[in-house]
Amino acid sequence: MNPLEIASALEFDGISNRAAHAGYDVPDVFALARLLYARVPRKPAAPEAEPGPRAISRPVVHGLLYGLPAACFPAAGPLLVGPGVLAALIVALLSGWGLSQGLAAVGFQRLGVSGPEQARPVLRTGLVGCLALVTLVMVVTMLTVHARLAVLAFGIGECAYMLGACVLLVIGEERWLPAALAPGVTGAALFLLLGKPGALADQTWAALAVTPLIACVIAVVRTAGTRLRGGCLPSRRELLGALPGASLGVVAAGLLSFPLAVGTSGHGGANVGAFIASVPLALSMGAAEWNLLRYRRGSGQLLGQTDDPRWFRRRAGRLLLWTMLRHAAGTIVIAGAALAVAVLVAQVSPDQAVLLALGSYLLLGAAMFLVLLLQTVQVRLVPLALAAAALCAEITLRRYGLAVQVAAPAALLVTVGGYAYRRLGEAVLHA
Amino acid sequence: MRVVLTAEGTYPHQFGGVSVWCDQLIRGLTGYEFTVVALVATGTEPVRWELPSHLSQLVTLPLWGPPPPLPRRARWPRGRTVPLVVQELVDVLLDDNPGGRFGTVLRDLHEYARARNLTAALSHERTVRLLAAAWRERWPEMAARRGAQPAGTGPTLHDAVTAMRLVEHALRPLSHPAVRADVAHAVTNGLGALPALAAKWEHQIPMFVTEHGVYMREQYLHLRSPDFGWPAKDLYLRFLGQVCALGYREAEVITPGNVYNKRWEVQLGADPDRVRTVYNGVNPDAFPELTDEPEVPTISWVGRIDPIKDLETLLRAFALVKADMPAARLRIFGSAPGGRQWYLDRCQALAAELGLDDSATFEGRIPDVRDAYAAGHVVVLCSISEGFPYSLIEAMACGRPCVATDVGGVSEALADDAGVMVLPRDPAGLAAACLKLLHDPDLRKSFGAKARERALEHFTVDRAVHAFDEIYTLMSTGNQIQPAPDTKSRVVASNATARLDSHDERRAKRRRSAAGGSGRALPPDLRVSGEPA
Repeated sequence: MNPLEIASALEFDGISNRAAHAGYDVPDVFALARLLYARVPRKPAAPEAEPGPRAISRPVVHGLLYGLPAACFPAAGPLLVGPGVLAALIVALLSGWGLSQGLAAVGFQRLGVSGPEQARPVLRTGLVGCLALVTLVMVVTMLTVHARLAVLAFGIGECAYMLGACVLLVIGEERWLPAALAPGVTGAALFLLLGKPGALADQTWAALAVTPLIACVIAVVRTAGTRLRGGCLPSRRELLGALPGASLGVVAAGLLSFPLAVGTSGHGGANVGAFIASVPLALSMGAAEWNLLRYRRGSGQLLGQTDDPRWFRRRAGRLLLWTMLRHAAGTIVIAGAALAVAVLVAQVSPDQAVLLALGSYLLLGAAMFLVLLLQTVQVRLVPLALAAAALCAEITLRRYGLAVQVAAPAALLVTVGGYAYRRLGEAVLHA
Repeated sequence: MRVVLTAEGTYPHQFGGVSVWCDQLIRGLTGYEFTVVALVATGTEPVRWELPSHLSQLVTLPLWGPPPPLPRRARWPRGRTVPLVVQELVDVLLDDNPGGRFGTVLRDLHEYARARNLTAALSHERTVRLLAAAWRERWPEMAARRGAQPAGTGPTLHDAVTAMRLVEHALRPLSHPAVRADVAHAVTNGLGALPALAAKWEHQIPMFVTEHGVYMREQYLHLRSPDFGWPAKDLYLRFLGQVCALGYREAEVITPGNVYNKRWEVQLGADPDRVRTVYNGVNPDAFPELTDEPEVPTISWVGRIDPIKDLETLLRAFALVKADMPAARLRIFGSAPGGRQWYLDRCQALAAELGLDDSATFEGRIPDVRDAYAAGHVVVLCSISEGFPYSLIEAMACGRPCVATDVGGVSEALADDAGVMVLPRDPAGLAAACLKLLHDPDLRKSFGAKARERALEHFTVDRAVHAFDEIYTLMSTGNQIQPAPDTKSRVVASNATARLDSHDERRAKRRRSAAGGSGRALPPDLRVSGEPA
């Protein structure tokens, strides 16, 4: 603080030269400020601490929102038959993840620069555009692999839900998602519990179709009614900025779906462990979000406790390790519960292949958590490249089956982990 | 002649007094070609003004949002050391008396930014570590010099990261190519002067600074309660202070909008001999005299709904007025700009609480501001802080009696007899002044007439525009503006034959002709500005 700062505050409080002279017998407000500066000791207070992460209930809800759609797959089983099903579903997954992550990245960029009111129009336009693109991609896929119309509809519906949910999450209105999920999840659950009665098949599939429709309608309605400024189309800069996120979405979808597509042998067939692991992995995203927020808060606090970069690096590394252990513990618990349910309900035998496949997904989940953590501090290209390299390795070496499906995520975890430890020790990434 | 006009957070992306001034200046000088360099927040702000045809280029420089585009063939910071120019920046920011070094460093940063990635260099981990280490070394001495007893042990890494981030964003204008022109005119000091400084350094053109409010004073107020630590705030304010001081040093002339600002500018390092006041002005044709008054005794207020305008004092004063004069009304014209709706809500709640629902009305933005002055018997301005308010001189031009708080340049506008001045935050004083005028039609008429006379004499847009026309001409031809001992200015031509035929001189000539006196050479007390007697 200097005397001029005091003088500005005095004038702002209505003390003019005249008032300073009349009230304090000094020539002007600057003299009064100098007097105050000389006489009053300065004890600047620390700024208020940033609030902690929101209540754990919100990440838990997010986890449910991420995981519940998985319940629709078993109920849609009778629909998903015929040629080209696997290819169509993988294309849908890749498109849905890639486009939804890209759309979210555009939305967050616009949100950060222009605020929520200006983010809504671009998200609405993006949603419509992405739906059109997804429809085109799925139609081409269907024609190429000769899949049935039902498969096409399911794939489009899956993508539509992801896009609608993404829009609502970006604008902070995910509270509408349970309403969208209700028909599909309820219908699917009843259908499965009743033993998949043929008489209810059509109604169940109609309920499944309603879920993505409601999600998109709500997303369009909740992003409507804003006066545009700066256009409702993303700018070139925003599209370029969204590329890493969209690419990561495609790579992540690839890493998740590849073991399911090629089976434990690498040449096709079932991969029961991967199938069991996909649901807990989705559910653990909520816990991952919570862990991520705790880590960011913790690292910010560490920044405010020291002026020594080396001390910060050591403590940030320790914090990262604890965060990873916490994340791993939570994911193992959820995966264990899913395995137990599979063993008890579906009579799955927990043999070596199942356990290895489950383990590979746990490794993948841990690696992707680190990738997401690095994304939140704007470190995007190297983690993306490492994840893409892991996927390429899995595809190239698929003939080694389960071995490469375990080795690739393990290698990814080690490399991303080392990179994250080094980069997250930098103070500039955390404030 | 080409003029580059540089500003921060104002024309043509915002409404307000400075934007009005810019628009008047550009439209009044149709013989010039203008380029406007506008510093904005994100780059998505819409242009809110219709741009005149001789405004040939608008350059928008965002301070926040994505990093600025890199120069062609920009190179990333090399090696394992912080670039020397960045080291010097850190050193000069922690120096209590850097003197002219800051200017040299800033100029070097500009050259660096034209060839390399300045944003990356300032944001780098090594730069933050450098600052943290320098702070650790110098902090005990700095704290002892200031007698500070802060909580905690000293600046942390968080402070260092925050401080460098603020400085990096502030210096983004240096990464853009300087506009080529004949004169650079910074309409605001501080960051708004950076493009003008860059133009001066790169193209060797003269530059000068106009200040309507005092930039540094506004920054002190803005950063009273920041949401970051005080070491970062201290460093950032030192940085801004150095930028402002550099702006004053490099400017050929400094033209505040009132004498009140000059006090601050001198305190902040401006050479008083380079300061020339040029008052804001209004177009008399747009504000003809108002001869009628409303039927019901009415107080009128016009402006931006903002805490600095202190509408709460106005409402409390009006409650006192209404107690004495139940038929009185208060009409508040103006809207709340982005982010200020909460203040409007608060004022409306206060009006309700004071029982003024029926008599105090919030009318919103009005298409023709003259109607707002016509709506009242008395026009009130009760701001806590002002420069040289347009609403006041507009009301004066219309012949309306004014009651205003004695802040900023208000006393220069009203002088002793063109209106009533009261202390800020004084509802009783404000109410008493309003009642005095509302009860006395002759007094209103007298004040109104004097106000109009004063406005037409000293505060017309022609006068203001003409003053800048002269300054542009002088600067572009290499003439200097030097002081006379009595603080009035005298033009000294670089060659003996150059003369300035100013508005004042023409009037003086006419008086001499009318008195039959012989012509004299250039009067020694020739004024470039419009300082009223």
